Amino acid sequence: MTDHLPNSIARAGLGAAVLLLAACAAAPPAPDERRTVEDRVRAPALANDGTSLQVYTLRNPAVESLERQAQAAEAEGDLARAEQVLERALRIDGRDPAALQFMAEIQLQQGRIDQAGGFAQRSWDAGPQVGALCERTLRTLIVVHERNSEWDLAQRARDRVPSCRVAPPERF
Amino acid sequence: MANRKTAKKPARRKAAKKHGRRAASTDRTPRRWPIRLLLFVLGAGLGLLGPWVVYLDREASVRFAERQWTQASRLYARPLELHVGRAIAPADLELELNAAGVTENEPLLPGRWRKRGSRYTIALPEVRFADGIQPPVTLRVLLDDGAVADLSDADGRALDLARLPPAELGSLLPMDDRDRTLVPIAEFPTLLVAGVQAVEDRQFRHHHGVDPRAILRAALRNILSRDIVQGGSTITQQLVKNLFLTSEQTLVRKFNEAIMAISLEARFSKAEILEAYLNDVYLGQDGNQAIHGFGRAAEHYFGLPVRALSTDQIALLVGMVRGASWYHPTRNPERARARRDLVLTVFRDTGLIDEAEYERARTRELGADVRDLAPSRAHPAFIDLVRRQLRADYREADLRVQGLKIFTTLSPSAQHHAERALAQGLAEVEREAGVLQGAIVLAQPDSGEVRALVGDRQVRRTGFNRALDARRQVGSILKPFVYLLALAEPERWTLVTPVEDAPLSVPQAGKPDWTPRNYDGESHGTVPLLDALARSYNQATVRVGLAVGIERLFILLQQLGVEPGGERHPSALLGAVDLSPLQVAQLYQALAAGGYSTPLRAITDVVDPADGAVGRYPMRLRPIRERDALALLDFALEDAVTRGTGRSLAGQLTQPAARRTTIRGKTGTTNDRRDAWFAGFTERWLAVVWVGRDDNRPAGVSGATSALPIWARLFDDLPHAPTARQWPDTLEWFWIDWPQPLLAEEDCAAARAVPFAAGSQPTDYSDCVRRGFFDRLRGD
Repeated sequence: MTDHLPNSIARAGLGAAVLLLAACAAAPPAPDERRTVEDRVRAPALANDGTSLQVYTLRNPAVESLERQAQAAEAEGDLARAEQVLERALRIDGRDPAALQFMAEIQLQQGRIDQAGGFAQRSWDAGPQVGALCERTLRTLIVVHERNSEWDLAQRARDRVPSCRVAPPERF
Repeated sequence: MANRKTAKKPARRKAAKKHGRRAASTDRTPRRWPIRLLLFVLGAGLGLLGPWVVYLDREASVRFAERQWTQASRLYARPLELHVGRAIAPADLELELNAAGVTENEPLLPGRWRKRGSRYTIALPEVRFADGIQPPVTLRVLLDDGAVADLSDADGRALDLARLPPAELGSLLPMDDRDRTLVPIAEFPTLLVAGVQAVEDRQFRHHHGVDPRAILRAALRNILSRDIVQGGSTITQQLVKNLFLTSEQTLVRKFNEAIMAISLEARFSKAEILEAYLNDVYLGQDGNQAIHGFGRAAEHYFGLPVRALSTDQIALLVGMVRGASWYHPTRNPERARARRDLVLTVFRDTGLIDEAEYERARTRELGADVRDLAPSRAHPAFIDLVRRQLRADYREADLRVQGLKIFTTLSPSAQHHAERALAQGLAEVEREAGVLQGAIVLAQPDSGEVRALVGDRQVRRTGFNRALDARRQVGSILKPFVYLLALAEPERWTLVTPVEDAPLSVPQAGKPDWTPRNYDGESHGTVPLLDALARSYNQATVRVGLAVGIERLFILLQQLGVEPGGERHPSALLGAVDLSPLQVAQLYQALAAGGYSTPLRAITDVVDPADGAVGRYPMRLRPIRERDALALLDFALEDAVTRGTGRSLAGQLTQPAARRTTIRGKTGTTNDRRDAWFAGFTERWLAVVWVGRDDNRPAGVSGATSALPIWARLFDDLPHAPTARQWPDTLEWFWIDWPQPLLAEEDCAAARAVPFAAGSQPTDYSDCVRRGFFDRLRGD
């Protein structure tokens, strides 16, 4: 059929198709926030886990138990349930930095950028500001600020990441 | 002449014959026009009526289907989480267990608990929560010093945590405003179901919505008595009138009623129609709330569930259907008794009761006392909040799903304490019995979950919900937000910045100057900013407020989730702003949660009958930027309840756990002592108390003497766990030669440790430091 079309129409159609394809290629893919959390938050923080001073605060065993349940839910891909379970944990201790940070990561995975920022900020305020948890928090804030195009804030958070890595004191 | 006339007739007939029908028609025109008009009107009427009937039919069926009475949503309290360290008094644990339907009983079976000393054994059945299922488990809980000391299962294995079943709070039709207690038809007493039919509509089982014989009978009687003495409406027609139509006595309304009644009968079963009728029929007033349905009426008049009604009580309520006010048992007892006895006669004559029962019932007193003790009426103010949040935040289509489960944030034990604190506290502080009213909002600050809400000193009374709807001037409890704005500028304001508490005039456009005065009528000269807030000095606060800006105050209130409305008048700096207790609690939530704002919520999850989530109210956090300022304000609000206007608080707390807790708070009293407020918080609890008169007349109340004692009474009863207070790292502490804005040393006589945002501390030293320095040089 196209053979019978006037050349100008055929060219216009071809041009439109090319443009459409180009548009598809140019559109940035929606960020996979699950990968973001793994690649940009947890993995780098974990990489420095062994070399940096870690502060393990005394935690409520009930909160820790719920955190484990939330991890299981997350592993099953059930982020909604992970969120519900973490809410239970935060009802017991609303200022547990690890539970707050985990909640921030669950929020980030669900694309709730501002909420991720809120929980991460609270984790930072309540947390030891040193060690792996500190780094996860700051890395979450970097992602949050980048998603919100707050480049200065993202840079400031990035600049603070090294402060989480405090060499542990030598043991005698 | 006569002949001529006779002669003309055959001629006309001939002409008629000749011209056939046309001539005949012309001949009859003068006599047939009314018939034509009638036919025209009939045709036009049918043309218009058809669509109208179709419309009525559709309306009746759709709207009735939306009101499936017994498929109301069920409301649940928050489930109690038990874990080691959980603060809870034995009485509260028992209250929570009973509210959850777990009763103290032997032998120990699922759903029962027993107590040996301070060790509880609780057998829980399988429990379905919004987030999953908890399998059956037997818990062993040891309470010690007001907290869970040990938690294990029946085999002695330690448990990290366990949940009690959520207490059922009752039912709710989210889209329905009427006051009713919904009862499925199977739960109504048989006598009531049959008795209503015997009295109101004996042909109910047989007719199709309208009963022509009843209509004729009523019409005949009404004509004979020249008045409307009998109605011919069936139960279905009455239901239609109650649900969809007005009570006006017009033919159009009667026509609509009949069509809709026939429509309902064609589409729904008799049982569905009767169930709706029994749950909807008007049976009186409870204040400004109409009482609908026999379930609610049984609770209101007898304090009983409908299934527990006796024969005479059923007869009274059935008799009231004809006129709930006319036959009201306490206002018109003789008339009500005569009507009840008449109904009993009908019951006997139709064979529903025998002669002996008839005689027994007839001799009984009316017994109605408007006691309203029904458990399903508990916590009406909180349930009102649930209804409003559902309507505001959920789609109507979702809320019309039948049999939703709504999981709320209510703590039955905290609600119990709040109700008791308000009722007993008001009785204690008021000079004239019964004149004061009050409200309490209790929330968990970090999550924003509302744990208790009381909107009336008679806690089961429905109607005006003061916790949500009493928008009253808030007075000095608004001042902390003025100071928060000031402290957010540390280069300009610190807790020791001198502020002038002296008379001032504030010019106003087109009005006389505004000259604020202090509560005690005195001016206090130059005072530190901390004292100006803690002692609630008005003139100093206006100076600070004018410097930070009134507009900024209103913007801050909006950022914290409250739309204050009203005029931006300078008097707003002293709390001349009308807010409800819930709105005040919303403002204080961010202060209590360390600078993280979250909307106060009464619901966590809404689940449909198949346990599919309809919606969630997830936990939300929004950081407020001024963290240092919030921490400084926190310090000042602790000062307000230790050295300031709320200093009587410590003396009113009797429980050691409450006395050990660091409390921050602020009193508020409005002009002419019309309103008293106290807003106070710890890390775990935030409560706002309002006291005043409904008519807004001077009530002789004050924040410190009226609202604060109620707050203290509540906090004394709540569980408290020790918490570590967190100060931002950016704050720095300095010794100050109080009340001078000068640095001091710990040894100075008036030295006081005060926090500052980094770099904002005074730079000058007190004489005591120099003296100390020279004293040290001299070696003293």
